[in-house]
Amino acid sequence: MSAPAGGGGAPRAFGGGGAGTFATFFSGGGSNLEQSVVGAIQNLTGVSTASPTFSTTGYVDGTSAFIEGIDPSTYSAAAGALNIVSGTDLSNSSIANQIVLGQSFATNIGLSPGMTINVGPNSTGGAQYTVVGLYSTGNSFTERFAYVTLANAQAIAGKPDKVSEVYVKADNPNEVSTLTTEISDSFPGLTAIAPSTFTGAAAGLAGTLTSFFTIIGLTALLAGGFGVVNTMMMSISERTREIGALKAIGAKRSQIMGIFMSEALLIGVIGGFVGVGIGLLFCWVLPSFTGAATTSRFGGRAGGAGGLFGGALNAAPTPEIVLLSLGLGVIVGVLSGIYPAWRASKMNPVEALRHI
Amino acid sequence: MVQAIDLAKRYKHGRKPVNALDGVDFVIGKGEIIGIVGPSGSGKTTLLNMIGGLDRPTQGRILVDGQNLGELDDGKLAEYRLKKIGFVFQFYNLISTLNAAENVELPMLLSKVSREERENRSRELLGEVGLAMRVDHMPDELSGGEQQRVAVARSLSNNPSVILGDEPTGDLDSKSAKHLMELLWDLRRDKKVTFVLVTHDPLVVSKCDRVFSIRDGKILREIVPKQKEKIVSDEERLSMDTLY
Repeated sequence: MSAPAGGGGAPRAFGGGGAGTFATFFSGGGSNLEQSVVGAIQNLTGVSTASPTFSTTGYVDGTSAFIEGIDPSTYSAAAGALNIVSGTDLSNSSIANQIVLGQSFATNIGLSPGMTINVGPNSTGGAQYTVVGLYSTGNSFTERFAYVTLANAQAIAGKPDKVSEVYVKADNPNEVSTLTTEISDSFPGLTAIAPSTFTGAAAGLAGTLTSFFTIIGLTALLAGGFGVVNTMMMSISERTREIGALKAIGAKRSQIMGIFMSEALLIGVIGGFVGVGIGLLFCWVLPSFTGAATTSRFGGRAGGAGGLFGGALNAAPTPEIVLLSLGLGVIVGVLSGIYPAWRASKMNPVEALRHI
Repeated sequence: MVQAIDLAKRYKHGRKPVNALDGVDFVIGKGEIIGIVGPSGSGKTTLLNMIGGLDRPTQGRILVDGQNLGELDDGKLAEYRLKKIGFVFQFYNLISTLNAAENVELPMLLSKVSREERENRSRELLGEVGLAMRVDHMPDELSGGEQQRVAVARSLSNNPSVILGDEPTGDLDSKSAKHLMELLWDLRRDKKVTFVLVTHDPLVVSKCDRVFSIRDGKILREIVPKQKEKIVSDEERLSMDTLY
């Protein structure tokens, strides 16, 4: 068995049957894997379930779509069940040619459970399928996958007895790594990938993004701090005579410092609230700019940049983030005000009063 | 009482030494109105700053009510200015973001006087200077004469012993200047405050009990009332050379 490495199926949550209850990983690659490999993997020691999938593209009711063929009897156990929100999941019932659609995809083209539609490799023709259910992932991109039985998908692509990927559930989650190696060694040309590989990469990416945005944030804080210093120094320069008058009537250095530190604190507080307000507004409008997947390729209306991000980006501001932002604004304001306030307090009143 | 003993202030302007004050001696009694006259650069403002604790002498002593100002650190000098001194400047130097009452309250605020007392006293003082109806006005809503009267009221906030005026009528028209001097005269009578006024204005000179004529950092002569009457009678033909 040789097949190009790498998978091409519908992205699913790892361990989708329950957080941390079992380990599931992909095995296989491309769309030229012989179906018989599924049984061989199933027979490996330590394998609980091996569930094949076949990925192809086609047309659903004249609209292009990703078509995912699955084995209803084993898919849920290995990859986790679809979140059916209307109708039912695929089953080994008497209904031939069943199809389960993503909720947003179905809504866009006006389909609902019970309807009969044409599904095939081309925009016209094909076979009659019954929409038995709708699923939801909360992500308009992943809802563009249409699920049919493995045999139906193979027929649409004209590739009987071929599979794209095999989802494997291990008996023991701690044996995932061992099984991954065994499968890769036992079946040359196959690539077995554990979820930890992806989560590790995702964590690394998240870490990189966090570092990136932290640097951006620190740079912004630094720039803001310099802005406050500059603004206050200009203010002090303009108010030199005023400072001289205050000193002449008896203001102490500490009182002069207190006046300007209070102003710096106020700048920090106002700046913090304005910044948080703008940030929250940005969070609110972000989905509008990144949501509504571009369905023009599939005949629907083109939306925002969802196609780029795989769906709407939703920011999740937490109270901790808001308080941290406010706090940083105040701190930057206060720290930035120290030097200008000190300069003001040190002014010679005689020279200040002569200032024009 | 204000007493200066061999008072001197020397500093360097670049490399050139400057004797702003060069051995000044005087005694000013409680409740006197003293004028200080002299050409520009003669040391008038420096002398005022010495009395006000804004500058320190290089030599000699300046005593106010027995306190040697040279012995006070910066903090104590600030407290001295707050409690003992009131300043009236040529260009008023009111805080533009505070109204008339708030400007008058400012020294009391620095002295940590209670809010109620501050408000009452500021209204009382503004009434005494004829601005009872202008307490809520901002400085830019007041005429020059009115602003100077607010400054006078401010200078009286903490019941000072001495009020120092640096060209108090310098930016006023003759009518406003006359009113201001009449006000200062009344205040001296009612509150027994000592006034020391640097001036080029013959009208101010005419109201002073004594006038010190300064040139090159030294008091050249002291004009007493008898001589001052002569100046007043010849006011129309008065020249600065005669005065100095």
